[in-house]
Amino acid sequence: MPDLVVVDRLVKRYGPRVAVRGVSFEIEEGEVIGLLGPNGSGKSTILRVLAGYLPPSAGNVCIAGIDVATDSLGARMQVGYVPEDAPLYDGMRVAEFLRFMAAIKGVAGRATRGAVATAVERLDLGPVLGTPIGRLSRGYRQRVAIAQALVNDPPLLILDEPTNALDAYQVIAVRALVRSLAGRRTVLVASHVLTEIERVASRVMILLDGRLLTTDAMREAGHARQFRLHVAGPAPAILAALRLIPGVIDAAPGDDAERYVVEIEPGRLQAADLARAVVGQGFGLSELVEVKPDLERVFLDLTRHASGMEANAA
Amino acid sequence: MRSFAALLLKEEKAIFTSPIAYVVLSVFLIIMGYTFTVTLFVSHVPTLVHLFFQIYVLFLLTVPIITMRLVAEERRLRTIEILLTAPVSEPAVVFAKYLASLSLVVLMLVLSGAYAITLGILGQPDWGPIYSGYLGLFLLGAALVAVGLATSSLVNNQIIAALLSLSLFLLLWIIDHFGWMLPDPFDALVVNLSLLVHFTPFATGSIFLSDAGFFISVALLALFLSVRALARR
Repeated sequence: MPDLVVVDRLVKRYGPRVAVRGVSFEIEEGEVIGLLGPNGSGKSTILRVLAGYLPPSAGNVCIAGIDVATDSLGARMQVGYVPEDAPLYDGMRVAEFLRFMAAIKGVAGRATRGAVATAVERLDLGPVLGTPIGRLSRGYRQRVAIAQALVNDPPLLILDEPTNALDAYQVIAVRALVRSLAGRRTVLVASHVLTEIERVASRVMILLDGRLLTTDAMREAGHARQFRLHVAGPAPAILAALRLIPGVIDAAPGDDAERYVVEIEPGRLQAADLARAVVGQGFGLSELVEVKPDLERVFLDLTRHASGMEANAA
Repeated sequence: MRSFAALLLKEEKAIFTSPIAYVVLSVFLIIMGYTFTVTLFVSHVPTLVHLFFQIYVLFLLTVPIITMRLVAEERRLRTIEILLTAPVSEPAVVFAKYLASLSLVVLMLVLSGAYAITLGILGQPDWGPIYSGYLGLFLLGAALVAVGLATSSLVNNQIIAALLSLSLFLLLWIIDHFGWMLPDPFDALVVNLSLLVHFTPFATGSIFLSDAGFFISVALLALFLSVRALARR
């Protein structure tokens, strides 16, 4: 897949304060990317630069091959942006607002009705079309904000903290919507809530103090695949045998008796091969489960490591 | 062009669905009606000169109220983020807001035209000063709205925007009094910044290109500053 977004050494300064420090990443078409970081780490600033609201202080940002600095209007055509807390025109009715957004986003003439109808159907806004936005619930406001972002069918959708202050049902609905867009559209979601990002994103980038710590946290977490095994027998012999299996990087005792955690080189060994090797050495194997990459662990490791480096440098 | 029409329509709706527009219009018409009636009955002269100076003062007081929310409110509510991440340019946004606000000022002038029509029915006024007076008021309104928009673009708070415009208008009203006290050539420079100095010829029936140029220059400079202020983020 070609890259839809290319960010190269992006720097954003607010006066003397540097909010984003040389961030680089690419996003392929159709990916759902999570941008994870604590509050104040620079997530919103990066999204605002991508959306064309803020100009970069240095570096290059291209969306669909269009540079946001030299052709901001052209780049903005490629982006649907949902800011944090969904700031909308409270005095406008939902249908009126969506027609207005369609018009200023270049949806012309008769196409406006179709574009608005599609956005309304996708976000299930039918019941509130005539309601002033100021009277909507938080959930509906968020849906209206997403509808306006999608109304001109842009290739890139950017969502800043889309589940902030929503109740559990609304969070589930927004999550389902983002998942439904996967593949058809490129989505970039920023959040400080790790579980939110983990549930919707196919790739997670972690940001701390304006620096990108990783562009693929899942891969960092699972760059060596891990399996949890339940094997009956003497522990030293089992561990020694496991370590001798070709493709096994390491084997260690697990949390309970007769449980072991085995790290293998990806591509060299499959779960079935591992099971066959254990049973072939005469041990009783009763369970073999692949351990999913632990995003929380990676997040904590990376952010602690980065904080430690900064403390040492100071 | 379509997106500009949509922006303009949105701004027109915002102005004419707000109670501020109707309060301003009502106050304007009540005060104008009173002045017109009293002047006519006392002087028995079919002229609108007094009315034009009264409108001049009322513009200085009401335009800050009309323009204060234009950008400051969008900044405070962060709707500016929705607006400026759509493919619309800052000059288009500024010009739409400007034209919408100016349309309220023009409506005030059109409604005050009832007094000119009344004069025409009751007597035989000299129409020259009436035409020039309305031209002067239109140019004054165009300049004041642009300055009000510029101050609203500079701050996040509507009240501060209104107070800033009002202070600026009052300063430009009386600045010629300070100007006369200055040595040459500073006196001419400062006196020429006065709104009243440039408006008086229009109200009394004389049209000078320099006076019209002054109001147009102020409007263009203020619009340019508004665009720059909106682009600064």
